[in-house]
Amino acid sequence: MSQTLSASTLLAVPLAPLAGALLAGIFGTTFGGNWIGRRLSHTLTILGVLVAFVLSAMTLKSVALDGARFNETLYTWMVVGGLKMEVGFLIDSLTAMMMVVVTFVSLMVHIYTIGYMEEDDGYNRFFAYISLFTFSMLMLVMSNNLLQLFFGWEAVGLVSYLLIGFWFNKPSAIFANMKAFLVNRVGDFGFILGIGLIAAYAGTLNYGEVFGKTAEFGGLAFPGTDWMLITVICICLFIGAMGKSAQFPLHVWLPDSMEGPTPISALIHAATMVTAGIFMVARMSPLFELSDTALNFILVIGAITALFMGFLGIIQNDIKRVVAYSTLSQLGYMTVALGASAYSVAVFHLMTHAFFKALLFLGAGSVIMGMHHNQDIRWMGGVRKYMPITWITSLLGSLALIGTPLFSGFYSKDSIIEAVHFSHLPAAGFAHFAVLAGVFITAFYSFRMYFLVFHGKERYDQNPDAHHADDHDHGHDNHHAPHESPWVVTVPLVLLAIPSVVVGFMFIQPMLFGDFFKDVIFVDAAKHPAMAKLAEIFHGPMGMALHGLQTAPFWLALAGVALSYYMYMVNPALPTAIKARVQPLYALLENKYYLDWINENILARGARALGTGLWKVGDQAIIDGALVNGSWKLVRWVSGVVRWMQTGFIFHYALVMILGVFALMTWFVWRDYFLQLIK
Amino acid sequence: MGLLSLAIWTPIVFGVLLLAVGRDEHSRAVRWIALIGAVIGLLVTLPLYDGFKLGTAAMQFVEKSTWIERFNVHYHLGVDGLSFWFVPLTAFITVIVVIASWESITERVNQYMGAFLILSGLMIGVFCALDGLLFYVFFEATLIPMYLIIGIWGGPNKIYAAFKFFLYTLLGSLLMLVALIFLYNQSGGSFDIAAWHQLPLSATAQTLLFFAFFAAFAVKVPMWPVHTWLPDVHVEAPTGGSAVLAAIMLKLGAYGFLRFSMPIAPDAAREWAWLMIALSLVAVVYVGLVAMVQKDMKKLVAYSSVAHMGFVTLGFFIFNDLGVSGGLVQMIAHGFVSGAMFLSIGVLYDRVHSREIAAYGGVVNTMPNFTAFALLFAMANCGLPGTAGFVGEWMVILGAVKANFWVGGAAATALIFGAAYTLWMFKRVYLGPVANDHVKELADINSREFLVMSLLAIAVLAMGLYPRPFTDVMDTSVAELLKHVALSKLN
Amino acid sequence: MIDNISWLAVYPEIVLLVMACVIMLVDLGVHSPRRTGTYVLTMLTLAVVAVLQGMYASSGNTFYGFGNMVVSDAMGNWLKCFATVAMMVTLVYGRPYAADRGMLRGGEMFTLSMLALLGMSIMISGNNFLVIYLGLELLTLSSYTLVALRRDNATATEAAMKYFVLGAMASGFLLYGLSMLYGATGSLDIGQVFKAVNSGQIRHQVLVFGLVFVVAGLAFKLGVVPFHMWIPDVYQGAPTAVTLMIGGAPKLAAFAITIRLLVDGLLPLAIDWQQMLAVLAIGSLLVGNLAAIAQTNLKRMLAYSTISQMGFVLLGLLSGVIHGNVDAAAVENAYSSAMFYVVSYVLTTLAAFGVILLLAREGFESEEIADLAGLNQRSPLYAGVMAVCLFSMAGIPPLVGFYAKLSVLQALVASGQGLYIGLAVFAVVMSLIGAFYYLRVVKVMYFDAPLTASSVSAPVDVRVVLTLNGALVLVLGLLPGGLMALCADAIVRALST
Repeated sequence: MSQTLSASTLLAVPLAPLAGALLAGIFGTTFGGNWIGRRLSHTLTILGVLVAFVLSAMTLKSVALDGARFNETLYTWMVVGGLKMEVGFLIDSLTAMMMVVVTFVSLMVHIYTIGYMEEDDGYNRFFAYISLFTFSMLMLVMSNNLLQLFFGWEAVGLVSYLLIGFWFNKPSAIFANMKAFLVNRVGDFGFILGIGLIAAYAGTLNYGEVFGKTAEFGGLAFPGTDWMLITVICICLFIGAMGKSAQFPLHVWLPDSMEGPTPISALIHAATMVTAGIFMVARMSPLFELSDTALNFILVIGAITALFMGFLGIIQNDIKRVVAYSTLSQLGYMTVALGASAYSVAVFHLMTHAFFKALLFLGAGSVIMGMHHNQDIRWMGGVRKYMPITWITSLLGSLALIGTPLFSGFYSKDSIIEAVHFSHLPAAGFAHFAVLAGVFITAFYSFRMYFLVFHGKERYDQNPDAHHADDHDHGHDNHHAPHESPWVVTVPLVLLAIPSVVVGFMFIQPMLFGDFFKDVIFVDAAKHPAMAKLAEIFHGPMGMALHGLQTAPFWLALAGVALSYYMYMVNPALPTAIKARVQPLYALLENKYYLDWINENILARGARALGTGLWKVGDQAIIDGALVNGSWKLVRWVSGVVRWMQTGFIFHYALVMILGVFALMTWFVWRDYFLQLIK
Repeated sequence: MGLLSLAIWTPIVFGVLLLAVGRDEHSRAVRWIALIGAVIGLLVTLPLYDGFKLGTAAMQFVEKSTWIERFNVHYHLGVDGLSFWFVPLTAFITVIVVIASWESITERVNQYMGAFLILSGLMIGVFCALDGLLFYVFFEATLIPMYLIIGIWGGPNKIYAAFKFFLYTLLGSLLMLVALIFLYNQSGGSFDIAAWHQLPLSATAQTLLFFAFFAAFAVKVPMWPVHTWLPDVHVEAPTGGSAVLAAIMLKLGAYGFLRFSMPIAPDAAREWAWLMIALSLVAVVYVGLVAMVQKDMKKLVAYSSVAHMGFVTLGFFIFNDLGVSGGLVQMIAHGFVSGAMFLSIGVLYDRVHSREIAAYGGVVNTMPNFTAFALLFAMANCGLPGTAGFVGEWMVILGAVKANFWVGGAAATALIFGAAYTLWMFKRVYLGPVANDHVKELADINSREFLVMSLLAIAVLAMGLYPRPFTDVMDTSVAELLKHVALSKLN
Repeated sequence: MIDNISWLAVYPEIVLLVMACVIMLVDLGVHSPRRTGTYVLTMLTLAVVAVLQGMYASSGNTFYGFGNMVVSDAMGNWLKCFATVAMMVTLVYGRPYAADRGMLRGGEMFTLSMLALLGMSIMISGNNFLVIYLGLELLTLSSYTLVALRRDNATATEAAMKYFVLGAMASGFLLYGLSMLYGATGSLDIGQVFKAVNSGQIRHQVLVFGLVFVVAGLAFKLGVVPFHMWIPDVYQGAPTAVTLMIGGAPKLAAFAITIRLLVDGLLPLAIDWQQMLAVLAIGSLLVGNLAAIAQTNLKRMLAYSTISQMGFVLLGLLSGVIHGNVDAAAVENAYSSAMFYVVSYVLTTLAAFGVILLLAREGFESEEIADLAGLNQRSPLYAGVMAVCLFSMAGIPPLVGFYAKLSVLQALVASGQGLYIGLAVFAVVMSLIGAFYYLRVVKVMYFDAPLTASSVSAPVDVRVVLTLNGALVLVLGLLPGGLMALCADAIVRALST
């Protein structure tokens, strides 16, 4: 533990945004009586996030340079039967890096929002939400135990639910947010079981103590089976990650989440929240290293996501959805890296991706504003003339995304591809192919979008339904020329563009091959040599860039760009022609592999049908109808009979009395005779 | 007069007073007296927390004096970690209910308030009773006021509901009465529960006792398949009735398992644990599915209550401290959350006079503040961390996984089902564009309703963020109970 | 030459007899339609008698008079005391009702009820078959007349007819049984009979033969299946005030003679008569509860509920002797539980009928359950009293009826025999069914809308007594210890000799 980090300072990091959120959320809305106006509420929240960012930066500095560490419990949530459940911070390089990324992107988004949500009635509410999100995300990454991790995990889920459904009058939005929450819950279902197993066998939830105990339960078999316990644990945990980080088949919620306002698509559904799963697995590396089965599983899932979600990006026309699918496939890349035990690479890509993907989203948002809330790229084009800053920054973002040498994306992505290449796991072969193919796809759809939006001739006045994506019509005449966005929007773009370009070049050395992640991320080099091999062939960032020019990924990316240029600039008729050719395939993509259809029509409807059946048949017919009311009816019937016997005729009564006496007598007096007769 | 006696008799005295002198002419005064009574009732429970000694499983605040000499029955009160929290909880809910029914009840106010105050006292008595017969008397007596509350102030089908409630639960408790008498004779003429805990019993006797108690408590909890009275009753009962029923009354049954079934017949409890676990899981899964398709808000919440109580019984019968304390925490948490859910429904019902989900939509547009609360409670209902609803579920799931992974897995499906039915209802009722003119004319909650909601919201959050006071109180008693249950009592 | 002890033993009865005659004469001079003078005088007499019997009882002494013909013991005196009080209460409740229906023309009602009471007292104190039989006849004869008191009323006279015929039959049974026993044992004195039976010299079959008839006779008085048929018709047909006279105090007397004959006299035959009682009890619980569900007439419903309640009393009586070995504790436990049951039953019944009588107005019998509709709106107090009684009969704590059931069940379970525990379970299941029809009345009073808004008015004496009566049901529910102890003590003393 280092003296350079004080608990109070660290506490201030998450609490500052929380304070902002509470102030804006309570006093900035009807709830607290609208005491705070727009200006004040965005000032407060931004101030909070700014404080968080500055402190995080300082923390990162002291962690990176002075090797400061912090691992303390702040308060004990509860103690049950010796199992401590606590709230505490673990600050190391991984945490510090995440803190900076989160707070920085969040800060940018806050500022950006001033411009983007300008005309929205829920202005203050929105700021409250994103600040609350910042708080939750920070609690998640700063946690030193699984309980708090789960807290943050669910809290970010909640905020994402609130923000996707921010426009609560929009049916598609409130469907999307429920879907997001439920799909995430499916992930959490696995996650909590994993945590449960850890708690059961390690007897603690604290990271450090758990890792200390791996030796004890690492070798155990799962009761009643011949599986490795650790494998079950890891797969359970990873299922949680699949939900949060939108891995196939739990990815279905992410595209729909685009129903939310663009800033949160950037913040939550690109840069930070969706990477929580990646972060968690990296955090748990000491466990995952023990189970090759789990790692293989991760590789496969990641590869599928990386490749097939990329395909879907090709046919999207909604600018945000294109970016969303690219996010999915990039998350797939990170997952693949995890599977290859290249955790640091995954985290590295997480960081670079956070910057350029946030940039791309905010850029898209800026375009959307410029186009008066038209999101359909078919009705854009030639925007670069009107929105220069947006154009340049988006270009930079796209270049970073497709992995152009020297750009940040290049370093992280290429390292992933190499790492997979070096991995010995059975699934690595497939994964390697997938990520290679993915490069081409990524390049293709990214630049398809880029060309359609910023180049070519201006089509925005031919839009048949100009406002189809416009949830709050401000009475714009959509034949206006697009206009560049205000400075609050462009400044964040620029500020994000810078790291998108340089951060990879600057940090690959220390983060991947230096000891930045030493004793944070654990790799069993003997079994999983990928990182070691990677280190051998690494000769500085510049060398890597030059070498990159001779490797497949670069040429694949180039090919992708070229193809998209040909198809959408040179020969625009071609896409439709191809579309007609491969109609079935197109339909498959159009329907996103029919996963939504399956979910809605088979799973959801099936569950409801089952519920109705159990209710009508089980509860109402059998239990209530037959047993409860049935027995009651029986009693009524018998009582009717008894009543009927009460005839009111005196001789009946007398008869009954005599019979009674007779019966008693026959039995009691001559009982013994009867018994003898029977014998 | 001890604190517990005060806690029991204060509300009863006020209730009787209201019944005696209350008239509808001066219902305003009646309401205030009721509120004062309830608040005093709550205040007298506060010193309990102050004086409660941690780290001991012994009974505390014990009061004992002979009641019926002939049957050696004592007026014997006391609380330990298992029962402690339900005393203030009951008093708290009573205050809430009194405030919540302030305007919605206009006729025979004195009888309504009186019934609730008396009911509150009786229920506290159930949790404090250390004498078998005293327990039974309180346990049964609660039926009378509840029966009247449902029947007098209930909905259109109130008669059926009231009878179903009364007879369903009476059947169970009558069998328990026979069991109590049996124990009285076995123990050589004592109704002292503590003595029964030490009483050696044959395997058959234990099994019979276990199921006799099961009949009483399972119905009250209610466990599947004897749960069908709950939805009907909830739908018909007035808001306050539903709140008290869900918040406290169901807990009487669950508490009975801890106080009677498990320690008195430990061997039978262990032998039949599989059955209890199975039934609990059915409650979680089956009832979760059923809840999803309900069209009536109250029915939906009623079914979700059954599912949540399934967690309680599940926790109890996995026999580890996480499970049992988890079950207890879940009981308290569910007290807050379900109470809040029903009161929220009441807020809407008072305005629109419909419980149909279909009758609403887009309430957030006209009642933003109320929706904020409703969202919190909905999230608590699907066990979001930071709310009370999470704590118990988390502990029970962890405990279940510890006991058996597959049981834990089945239990954890509640994460999905709970979220599904709660959020789907939330979506259809609160979100979306304004559905109809009723909703358009809704007025947001007034300051009285705001007060009720805030009190509950604070409780829900406080318990979610810092449950330690609850678990610390339970810890020793739970450990003691488990140790006791582990020992065989066969002779 | 009659000794003082004998005079002492029957002193209250003598007072009663004398005053009955005096009041008959005095009444000739009274002309007010409500017969206030007669009423007051009767009340005073009964009060004095009650006090006397109370003093006797609390002294706890046991002594015999007229050569063991009569006994004065704690049990008897308490029961007599309760019976007298019950009769007083009955008259208080019944007078306005009777006055409205011209039943007070000539004070017969008072005189007859006093004679009925006298009959009960004699039954209770009888220690000799003949005395018991005489008392019984005195009671029943005056009851017949009371039922027929409204000679212009068809249903009443029909009821009287049925009552008379069946009652005569029952008396015949009893007399026949008693004479059989007399023939077998050669004595009418219960003590002697006991010795003779106990000696084991007498042929068992002969005794059982007589026993069957005795049990049948007692069963008729208690009104248990299959000797119950008269109860519903008579309860419903008789004027409500009289119904209460039949359904209230006489049960105490019936219980007393059951103890005297079966326990004091024929305890050695316990195995046999317990089995008989078991059969009767099961029948009563079954028929009483099941039939009551179907009733719409409140008096008729209460009649059936009486049948089932008496079934419970039998359960108490039949759990005294286990495996033929007489254990003092068990015996005392069982019979005192039965006694407690009867007493609390009478107490509750009084209040319940009190409310019915209260609601009956001139020309309107409030005897349909529907007539109670919305009583809570009309008069919370009386609704409360009625509700308390009903819940008490249903055996819901904290009301006296619960402890009655409790002690009986306890006696059953205490026997430790599987069969008896089975009986106990059967009994509680039946009382669950029973709960339904009591609840239904509560439902009508509390949940239904009133037919008339008119509030209920009652003479002050009725109001006071009724309130006290209801309160007592509740108070004894909260503190049943005293009464239980009293019954236990009474039984102990009764059996110790």
